[in-house]
Amino acid sequence: MRLPNIPGFSLPKLESYISRLPLFTRAMLAAMVVFQVVGLQHSFDVRAWGALIPDEIGFQTLYRTNTFPLIHLNAFHLVLNLLTVIPLLERFESEYGTLTSLALFFGPLTTIPALLYVGVEKHILGANTPVMGASIWAFLLFGAEAIRTYRTNPYFVISTYNIPTWTSPLALLLCMAALVPSSSFLGHLVGLVVGYIWGLGYIKFLAPPEKALRWVEGKLKLPARLPYFVSVDQKTYGRFGVLPTSTGPSSASALHLRRDPRILKLPPYLSLLCIVVGVVWLFLLPFDDYSRRTYISENALLPGQVHTYFSGSDQHVFRAYKHELHALAGKSNIEFNDKLEPIVKGLGLKTARQNFTYHAAGHTLEGENLYAILQAPRSDATEAIVLVAARENVRNEVNINGIPLALTLLRYFKRWSLWSKDIILVLTPDSIAGPQAWVDAYHDAHDTYRVASLPIKSGALQGAIAIDYAQEGRFESVHIVYDGVNGQLPNLDLINSVVNIAGGQMGMGVAIQEMWQHDNKYPDRLRTMLRGMLKQGLGLASGPHSSFIPYHVDAVTLRPFGDGWQDEMAMGRVIEGTFRSLNNLLEHLHQSFFFYLLMQRERFVSIGTYLPSAMLVAANFTIMAIALWIKSGHPEGATTGADKPKRLSTQTVERDLFLPLGVVTLCQSLSVIPLYLFNHAPDNTLTPLFAVFTALNTLLPPLLSHHLTAAAAPTEQQYHLIKSFSLLLLGMFLSTLATLNFPLSLLIGLVSIPLTFLRPLSLAPSSSSSSSPSSSSSSSLMRRRLLAAAAMAAVSPPAVLLAGCALWGVGVGDVLRAAAVAWHVCGTWTQVVVWCVWWPAWLAGSVVLLGRPRGMGTGAGK
Amino acid sequence: MRQLCPALLLSLLSLCVFPPCAAASASAAADYHEQLVLRPLPLSALLASFNFRSNTTVSEFESGNFRFFPRSLGQILQHAGTRELHLRFSLGRWDAESWGSRPWDGAREGGTGVELWAWLDADTDQEADHKWLTLTNALSGLFCASLNFIDGTRTTRPVMSFEPEGDHPNTSAHSMQLLYGVLPHEVVCTENLTPFLKLLPCKGKAGIATLLDGHKLFDASFQSMAIDIRPVCPPGGECVLQIEQTIDMVLDIDRSKRPRDNPIPRSLGGHELLCDTSKPYHSHDTCFPADQDANQDWSLSQIFGKSMKGTCPLADPTVPPVCLQVPESRAVYTIDGAVEIKSRDSRCFQISPESDLELLLPPPGDEAQDGAAADILPPGTPPLYAERSFTGYGQERGGVQTILRNPSPDTEVEFVYMESLPWFMRIYLHTMEARIAGHPAPSPDNHPLIQQVYYRPALDRARGTQLEVRMRIPPAATVFLTYDFEKSILRYTEYPPDANRGFDVAAAVITILDPQRNGSGRFAAYTIRTTSLLCSLPTPDFSMPYNVIIFTSTAVALAFGGMFNIMVRRFVAADEGSEGGLGALRGKLLGRLGAVAGRFKGNQ
Repeated sequence: MRLPNIPGFSLPKLESYISRLPLFTRAMLAAMVVFQVVGLQHSFDVRAWGALIPDEIGFQTLYRTNTFPLIHLNAFHLVLNLLTVIPLLERFESEYGTLTSLALFFGPLTTIPALLYVGVEKHILGANTPVMGASIWAFLLFGAEAIRTYRTNPYFVISTYNIPTWTSPLALLLCMAALVPSSSFLGHLVGLVVGYIWGLGYIKFLAPPEKALRWVEGKLKLPARLPYFVSVDQKTYGRFGVLPTSTGPSSASALHLRRDPRILKLPPYLSLLCIVVGVVWLFLLPFDDYSRRTYISENALLPGQVHTYFSGSDQHVFRAYKHELHALAGKSNIEFNDKLEPIVKGLGLKTARQNFTYHAAGHTLEGENLYAILQAPRSDATEAIVLVAARENVRNEVNINGIPLALTLLRYFKRWSLWSKDIILVLTPDSIAGPQAWVDAYHDAHDTYRVASLPIKSGALQGAIAIDYAQEGRFESVHIVYDGVNGQLPNLDLINSVVNIAGGQMGMGVAIQEMWQHDNKYPDRLRTMLRGMLKQGLGLASGPHSSFIPYHVDAVTLRPFGDGWQDEMAMGRVIEGTFRSLNNLLEHLHQSFFFYLLMQRERFVSIGTYLPSAMLVAANFTIMAIALWIKSGHPEGATTGADKPKRLSTQTVERDLFLPLGVVTLCQSLSVIPLYLFNHAPDNTLTPLFAVFTALNTLLPPLLSHHLTAAAAPTEQQYHLIKSFSLLLLGMFLSTLATLNFPLSLLIGLVSIPLTFLRPLSLAPSSSSSSSPSSSSSSSLMRRRLLAAAAMAAVSPPAVLLAGCALWGVGVGDVLRAAAVAWHVCGTWTQVVVWCVWWPAWLAGSVVLLGRPRGMGTGAGK
Repeated sequence: MRQLCPALLLSLLSLCVFPPCAAASASAAADYHEQLVLRPLPLSALLASFNFRSNTTVSEFESGNFRFFPRSLGQILQHAGTRELHLRFSLGRWDAESWGSRPWDGAREGGTGVELWAWLDADTDQEADHKWLTLTNALSGLFCASLNFIDGTRTTRPVMSFEPEGDHPNTSAHSMQLLYGVLPHEVVCTENLTPFLKLLPCKGKAGIATLLDGHKLFDASFQSMAIDIRPVCPPGGECVLQIEQTIDMVLDIDRSKRPRDNPIPRSLGGHELLCDTSKPYHSHDTCFPADQDANQDWSLSQIFGKSMKGTCPLADPTVPPVCLQVPESRAVYTIDGAVEIKSRDSRCFQISPESDLELLLPPPGDEAQDGAAADILPPGTPPLYAERSFTGYGQERGGVQTILRNPSPDTEVEFVYMESLPWFMRIYLHTMEARIAGHPAPSPDNHPLIQQVYYRPALDRARGTQLEVRMRIPPAATVFLTYDFEKSILRYTEYPPDANRGFDVAAAVITILDPQRNGSGRFAAYTIRTTSLLCSLPTPDFSMPYNVIIFTSTAVALAFGGMFNIMVRRFVAADEGSEGGLGALRGKLLGRLGAVAGRFKGNQ
């Protein structure tokens, strides 16, 4: 046997293949696509009209036996079937001729399987499953081809077994039935059987006689009239009939496509399409079809499966501890710890303290953590779970119930012998710096000059729960705070467990992202998701739990809210249940998702679903950058010429890279200045500094542009290259960032959209009015430049920051201080993204916008 | 009659058992004795220390005459040429901060899991390895523990940390090899207790061993089972082979007193709660707990779930079976018939073999209110505190930090610190550093902390790292001993099949050397085991890639293969190949028709 000649895949070959598809195949392709498009509207249900529904088959509806292969369930179904059927159909047609194919596929080869299917389905199986799609043809043709293969090459040998080649479609059939959901096994089987019969030649008599066909062809001169027509008479026209060659002007190849001037006009639209799709994608996520219900993935957790016993006289103890805490109101951190340490020690725990001092924004954050280890009986300090209670929560309220509850819980936990992991109680003075210092020191990642080492330790941390219970009185629901530093998230299983225990077992409400009311409809879901994205995008610590997440310790903060009938003991039972679940863990939480967007407590989208959104937005910059790079390689006259040449000239011009690279490098290196300034300036100077910076920032682009024009007078090509490099960097950074902190990447991408579409101002009008003298338009140009500079300033990082502050009603100084604290304490790198990714891109974009390409004033056509 | 029968049997038994027993006790060489020492500890804990000791003369042992010595174990020892054997099963950790110094000065405890070391009679390393393999496999079967997993990677040959406890004749000393193996991940449970009890002459049916109940033992905060076999040569007497079985357990009195059918620690009723009534806010529903040192009242049957069923008739009657270490002022009630032998801080109780023993400690009276220490003996101060933990994070490297604190104000302490690490922890020896807390730089050279280092590097997949460091810590100093290591990447078959929790790293063994060891004293004055560590290695999530790879490969291979084959194959034209298809059908039809036509014509 001859070895099949396997063509290497290449675009021109594919293109030429598609361009040479014969007539009937083309017609079928078109018909299927048309039916699919028609199916998009709702007034006329094509699928109900054309599908092969056994019960509907009568004389009036026999058309269904012919229409059903042309109709598909959805676009994916269509694409899959097209990919399979087109090559097979093409081969069939080029062998038998267009007319024969038409006659066969609108006759016996479709109706016989259809009727067979109806017969078997209705009368033998007694069912009524509608089928549609071209896969029946695919299997029919597979069957026919398999018989052929069998003739020439009866067996293929696997080890010592001879396996008949005609069985291969059967294997495929089983595979399809197993792998593709809702595929019709019977339908495919019927197609295959008819294919076998056809291949064996028993129904060849159904084909129309060649003589008649030849007569028809001859009379109507079909081969000459119809393009891509394949004649029956292969002897006359060659084996493959008359096929178009690549000599005609209509035949395009990839090379021609590349030289088509229209191709260079495409990228901006492509970029726009990316942005639109990206944004629309984001807004589709809250729908049921795109988000999923949460589920517990780690079976060992068994949330809500244990009885909780924290109640009864433990409440008396809780009240006593609360009195003790009341007595400590207003006392210093050291006094507080001095008082609490004996109490904690009296519970039978090992206690220790840790000092920390952070300097940020001219402030000194210092304090002393008190922590205690409940050594699990029978275990050996290899693993631990953490219970954090900060003295003050992130809103600077005193955690008046949280600390007594934590103490009472530890006292209760001490009575159990079932703990497989140590339990560590961490009492911190504040919610950000204290936990951060403790976690850093626990993992020995601390700076020993600022944060003291921990004198006692336990094993690897497996999870952490923080209590933020500043509310007095009874509560209704629990609020789960889960955002970590830099948008990192805890394992979804932890959140699911708490939801399961609090919501399912204890019967209290559960809220996320401060959505105190949630009706689980689209607007609320969207709002929840956007709030979460904003928080993760800003990358600030949102509670004591945030510091744990960078060390791969899954953590959440639980905060009761609302006015209901749940008391402190109920909150304690939620924590007890969660600890019991974490205690069950055999291995570190790893089963469920680490990248997700929650839109309701039981609904989420995972990274695979949401990532395309940010990636598309980031890709738009890259597309534009590549387009500009190509454009900069073409001579300028070719694109601006008035005579509109059909093709671009093949000649290229040399790119002058030094200046563009220099400008982009300058912009990038300038970014170190604001990054340093805003992270190291003292607190009281932050607001004035910001004002000065904003002013300078507005003046900088015109200044830079002026100097650039004066010193180097860049050409249009160089402006293109500046923009290209800048966008290339932006696209690269943002797509990388999207995998780490999706919301931040998306936010920066969205505010940077204008950078894609801007170009030197003097360029845009000059192309339209290049014939008229440019002196008269100089004043309007000036006005436009001013306008453009103002517009650019409006989307500059400082302006966006100002707008954001105004929108949420917070002071710029506060935001900057919080950012500086986060930078120094938590290691937030949102600033790096803003100043070193977004700001340089904006600066380069502004310089391009205000640029005056050399030669534009003297006339474009050169 | 039914009551008489056992008594008769017993007397018959005693007739045949006691004479040799008496004869043996006369020689004082082949005896058996057992003792339980109870010592209340702070924070309502109770240390129960069981000790069973028997011996047999070497000559009888070699001729196969086992009497009190367990035959099953004896045969294994003979077969594997073992001179001295030490086996430990431990769970939990000794809380030295609260409980003070360890029972037996730490000599009868092991690190978490199973620990085994033995001196084998072997001339070459190969012979020793072979005998070690025999020994571990045999013991594995005997004790229902995975001791057979002590392979080459888990076996070390300590140089400085251990010395034989027994008396070995000098002639054989040179041919003895010490091998040490440890299984930190082994979970000790009741299946290990049952074979342990079966080695006892009374099999746990009588005597103090009746108190050993799996539920109580394995609910203890700390427990260690030890078997030590060593030859002892009394001066002038015949050498005997001594087997000593020890169980130390620290029970939480509060937890142990809970009935077995209701072990859930529900909160007490409000009135049962012990409150600090001096608090100004104290009321019927507010209670500052004052029960941290409560629960010092207990009885033997409450703690162990049953009372002691007589004494073991085989045991040496002169050794009192139960001793209690409480201050003299503490009241203790016993049943009638128990003879109390008082000594300072210790009371021992002698009972007749048939009667049950019950001890009752009432709640401490008001006269003891001046301090909790009056209820219990003050815990002794250990010569050294040690705590070991990992430093660093991530999957690539890490560090180990051991904090060693010498509490003594005037004595320096010298000890050997031994680590046997798995091979996938590749330590960087140059990073090993000892520094005294408060001194930023390593200590000056004129008083080095590290005196001597013995290091045997690991070989991948063949043997683990062995590190022994002899150190000297000045009085009242805290020393940080740190070193860094790198984590290897395992082959996927080398991961255990269980859920991947991480890999346990065996406890470090700290042997504090006796200052008078060269004279009359012992080699080790005190032994400490640190806690074990959990080392997480980079681990693939096995199931997911496996499923995905298998599933997609199958689908792609089947679907793509078939489709691709049919799509790319080129066929020869019909007239070039054999006749077939439509043409053949037509040819046949035409032939038939022709034949029919011909016949028709012929007929005409």
